[in-house]
Amino acid sequence: MFYRVRACDRSTAVGPDDGCAASCRYNSFVDPLATSLATTLAGIVGTRHVTTRAVELLVYENDGLPGYHKRPRMMVSPGTRDEAIAVVRALAAADTPFVARGAGTGLSGGALADGIVLVGMHRMRRIIAIDPVAMTATVEPGVVNATLSRAALPHGLHYAPDPSSQTACTIGGNVAENAGGPHCLKYGVTLNHVAAATVALPDGELIVLEAPRNDDIGYDLLGAFVGSEGCFGLAVDVTVRLTQNPARICTMLADFVTVDGAAEAVSAIIAAGIVPAALELIDAGTIAAVEASIYAAGYPTDAAAALIIEVDGPVAGLDDDVAAIKAICSESGARTVRTATNPAERARLWQGRKKAFGAMGRVAANLAVQDAVVPRTKLAPILRAIAEIGERHGIRVCNVFHAGDGNLHPNIPYNGDDADESARVHAACKEIMELCIAEGGTITGEHGVGLDKLPYMDALFSPDSLDAMCRLRDAFDPARRANPGKVVPVHRCREWMAAPGARK
Amino acid sequence: MSVRAPAEVLSTADVAEVVRAAHSAGAPLRVLGSGRWSGAGSPAARVGADLPTLSLAKLTGVVAYVPSDLTLTVRAGTTLAELNAITAPNNQWCPLLSWGDDDGTIGATFATATAGPCANALGRPRDIALGVEFVDGTGTTIRGGGRVVKNVAGFDLTRLMVGAFGTLGVITEVTVRLRARPTVDRTLCVAPRTADVELAAIIRRADVQPIACESIDERLAGALSLPAGCVIARYGGNAALVEAGHAGASAAGEVTEIDASVWTRLRALDPHPRRLDGDPFATSVARRLKERFDPAGVLNPGVFGANPGSVS
Repeated sequence: MFYRVRACDRSTAVGPDDGCAASCRYNSFVDPLATSLATTLAGIVGTRHVTTRAVELLVYENDGLPGYHKRPRMMVSPGTRDEAIAVVRALAAADTPFVARGAGTGLSGGALADGIVLVGMHRMRRIIAIDPVAMTATVEPGVVNATLSRAALPHGLHYAPDPSSQTACTIGGNVAENAGGPHCLKYGVTLNHVAAATVALPDGELIVLEAPRNDDIGYDLLGAFVGSEGCFGLAVDVTVRLTQNPARICTMLADFVTVDGAAEAVSAIIAAGIVPAALELIDAGTIAAVEASIYAAGYPTDAAAALIIEVDGPVAGLDDDVAAIKAICSESGARTVRTATNPAERARLWQGRKKAFGAMGRVAANLAVQDAVVPRTKLAPILRAIAEIGERHGIRVCNVFHAGDGNLHPNIPYNGDDADESARVHAACKEIMELCIAEGGTITGEHGVGLDKLPYMDALFSPDSLDAMCRLRDAFDPARRANPGKVVPVHRCREWMAAPGARK
Repeated sequence: MSVRAPAEVLSTADVAEVVRAAHSAGAPLRVLGSGRWSGAGSPAARVGADLPTLSLAKLTGVVAYVPSDLTLTVRAGTTLAELNAITAPNNQWCPLLSWGDDDGTIGATFATATAGPCANALGRPRDIALGVEFVDGTGTTIRGGGRVVKNVAGFDLTRLMVGAFGTLGVITEVTVRLRARPTVDRTLCVAPRTADVELAAIIRRADVQPIACESIDERLAGALSLPAGCVIARYGGNAALVEAGHAGASAAGEVTEIDASVWTRLRALDPHPRRLDGDPFATSVARRLKERFDPAGVLNPGVFGANPGSVS
């Protein structure tokens, strides 16, 4: 069988923090146990939905981020809520760690299972109920984000968080990562849209977590669960809030001859008290890739940067916001501000943005999609510093990101077969993260820590704070069997280190 | 053995010292902001009044404020009134406008997850909290979240602190997301034309939705000198939007424009008292959290009615 360890596979670079310590015990070749577990799981979900065959497991070695390959020991995919609960209980009975996976579109290596059981949630695609009056939907975790919005359309509603992968990513995965998207600037991230979740804790206990209401008291366990990257348990159903479709949407494209001008316009729009539905920045490198691809959106190829600015809401007052935004853009040096006047034009403007990652496939075979957040007012100098880092390492950095939130996505197309280039990409990514931390930002705004950002957690949080995160995790999963070795470097969990026989 | 808190806790290090001593001695503390939450009927009143008090009221002031970033980091004892004074010159606000009054502290507002009339439109404490610093029940200082508006780095200690009533940690610093104040901010009293109309529901369903909308019952009407059965609605945004909101409200009932100070008076009347039944420690997860963050049970024992000081 063909399997190649890519030069940029960072499993060694990441070292003892990459979860290996937690799962080595399960890597060893203990087939009788595996066979017995597979038999048990097959008894729950059917033989077709359990696989231990290497060739079938190959597709689960990656998520959306290149450079990481981890082979699960087996994959089990429950088809119903009851099956999912039974699977978690069987894994608990066998004291076996596991990783839940939605569509595998994640960008932090969070859904990779290194020699342990992968629980594929992709078969649980049922929309259980849509309540147009309460404006909620209850779904199985494998429901695709865009599918839910399509289903809500007849009621004049949609599901607001819209990651670029929304045509493939699942609600369960979105909940695990606290996913964002362009429209989260106005509408909020996944956390703000989850009303409840039924969760199978890793020990098999079933609990219902609900968003706190005005009148009750108690810990916000749902708030802690959203964004826990699969380390707190397995959601078997999720109730989300739906959002009314706006009466009117207006999408603008403003193009600038300097990145500074675009960044200045971003701050000025927000400072003016206008809350655009989305405010995205696309730089020259990204524009070039998009315009050369089948996703060409008519972006000006001679611009240093372009902003996609969308406002939505009731008809009243919207034109005034549009006029104010145009004036601000002009003052900040925009050459032109184009307005999409019909749905087709709007879709075209967005297509270039949402498919930008795909378009970069034309530039090189691999793409490191990075994610960091910086204070909005520092966007211009930080983008300059990122460009400088790229030049120094001889690589190309293309920026396409949620400027209104200061949520950067420096993307680096590269050839993963070129060991030298891969190493330079790795080095540049590290410098970019260190830069963002130094400027008061954070290492991920919406993609999660997973495996990729583990090495930076020590720079961002004190040992005591990381230990507190371990304690929070332990309240949900004392045995640390759900997605072991992700999010918090293992060596930062004191109790873990203090118990030598615990789980090596 | 009882542990006395120093008369004035002025820094996070002071808080850590007090809690560490309490943890070592197994001597519970009553954690308070400015004490606005300790009135009859509130969960905070359940904490023994005879316990030594750890007051955060002197732990005040701005740590970081970059107006253009619309983020503000302040020490926990800073009052909502001070927050207003800090942000108003830049035409910004922290739109919590929580039930109670502006003498309440931001730390207590987050610890009690106290919402207000603008919560549905502009966010609850859990929605606008970007980061926290707190001292857990062992006296360890911990930071969660950050100072930027979007952040998924690490497990969410910020959401854990919001609404925990100081039972898992003493909040010492918070970073909040601010908003620009609406260009036009208008408050309307809407009186029903017929008795049986569901006025608030109609107003909330209109094209232009208010940023706050409250039904005024008999009790509130007397205290606010408003007609019983009316609805007060607040519209914020640009002039055209607010005008359209006004028109929508006029279609629903008889409209009179009133002074925005009505919201301050309404907030003091606490129209949505907390339901105090239910046991927050009913779930295994909550019990384990308490064990891991306050193993000696020294932080606000009894605040939830149950006895988290003796969780097993």
